[in-house]
Amino acid sequence: MEYQPRIPREGINVTDRHPLAELVTLVAGICLAVVVIATAAFVLVEGLIRWIPPSFESRVFGSLWSADLGNDSDDPRLAAAAALLERLASHWEENPYPLQLAILEEESPNAFAVPGGAIYVTRGLLDSVASENELAFVLGHEVGHFRNRDHLRGLGRGLIVSLTLSALTGGSAAESIPKLVTTITQSGFAREQERDADAFGLALVEAEYGHVAGADGFFRRLPDAEADLGDEFASYLATHPVSEARIEDLWHLATENRWSITGELTALPR
Amino acid sequence: MIEAAINLGIPLVLLIGTYLIGSAIERSHYREIRIRELRSRRFPTVNFRTPPKSWNVEDAEMVLGNVVISIDYFKRFLAGLRMLFGGRVSSYESLLDRARREAMLRMKEDAFERGYNAVINVRIETSRLASSNRKGEGTAGVEILAFGTAVKFAK
Repeated sequence: MEYQPRIPREGINVTDRHPLAELVTLVAGICLAVVVIATAAFVLVEGLIRWIPPSFESRVFGSLWSADLGNDSDDPRLAAAAALLERLASHWEENPYPLQLAILEEESPNAFAVPGGAIYVTRGLLDSVASENELAFVLGHEVGHFRNRDHLRGLGRGLIVSLTLSALTGGSAAESIPKLVTTITQSGFAREQERDADAFGLALVEAEYGHVAGADGFFRRLPDAEADLGDEFASYLATHPVSEARIEDLWHLATENRWSITGELTALPR
Repeated sequence: MIEAAINLGIPLVLLIGTYLIGSAIERSHYREIRIRELRSRRFPTVNFRTPPKSWNVEDAEMVLGNVVISIDYFKRFLAGLRMLFGGRVSSYESLLDRARREAMLRMKEDAFERGYNAVINVRIETSRLASSNRKGEGTAGVEILAFGTAVKFAK
């Protein structure tokens, strides 16, 4: 047998497929999977929320936050703000939450509701509000989140989506995807919830003062504050509809319900 | 907003960059491999355990060709996505194909330069190099070792 000089054949051990074509196929597949998972998460959470009574929620989460709450009680404005919150909540008759208020040592004006009935306001917010009416609207807005149970919704959706995705990717190369998707989905549907919470907050303010003057003060100052604070505010604006649109919505609501938009503003205790 | 841009931007730049660089390197490596394979095609490398009876062997020595490869960011990303769905991890295939052929060529070229006429009993082995981070769970690279017995024919 004579030795025949040959060169290896191509294409036996390598799939002849352009890497970019494969990337496009895989990314499309991921997007489809994300849509399916997100839809399933929404449906699941909507179904579950009906089965979790607020009393159970505050029992579970209340103990989680209570350790934090009241830590910064040295701020004299806390008591006044807590009293204001109580007065506002009294207009929501079927309120099942034992509402609690806490101050967060942070410069940027912000407020948020966490599951179980706790509302956090930043020191920056208390520093920046010009009247009690303005603070009342911000607090009322957060109470609105409780009424619509948005905090549970956000928590549940975020949890399911990020858990599923990180389980899928197993902390591999696609690590950044879960974080990204969570951010996008959360800010995506938050806008509608913010609008609903605004409507409820405004109704509480009207019930408390008999008019809604001053309620939009916080949003009116936002563009200035935004310029000062830079990117810290970008994150706030990402989940909250742009100030101007919200102010417009508030006026629209007030005229629709024939609420008085002028009235005496109550001063804040300093 | 800025944070999101950074979170999305850095991986994107890395993906595009490593794709362009990686595919350019791969193309030029394949070009080089083909030329060297063509040049060394008359040098027999076989996996017989013993030389054919017609060969009059006067000298023999073990020869090795060794290659250590690692994967680039783009290929790893592609493989990461592929692991979700299963199937051919084609981004690794070309890399291992190159490494195997390179190891064979190094072995052949060494044997040729040292005056041998052929390599018999050729074997190829692959082993994983554990990464020093993540407690050795990750893969730092893959080693491909081609080895065999170089033989010299009597004149």
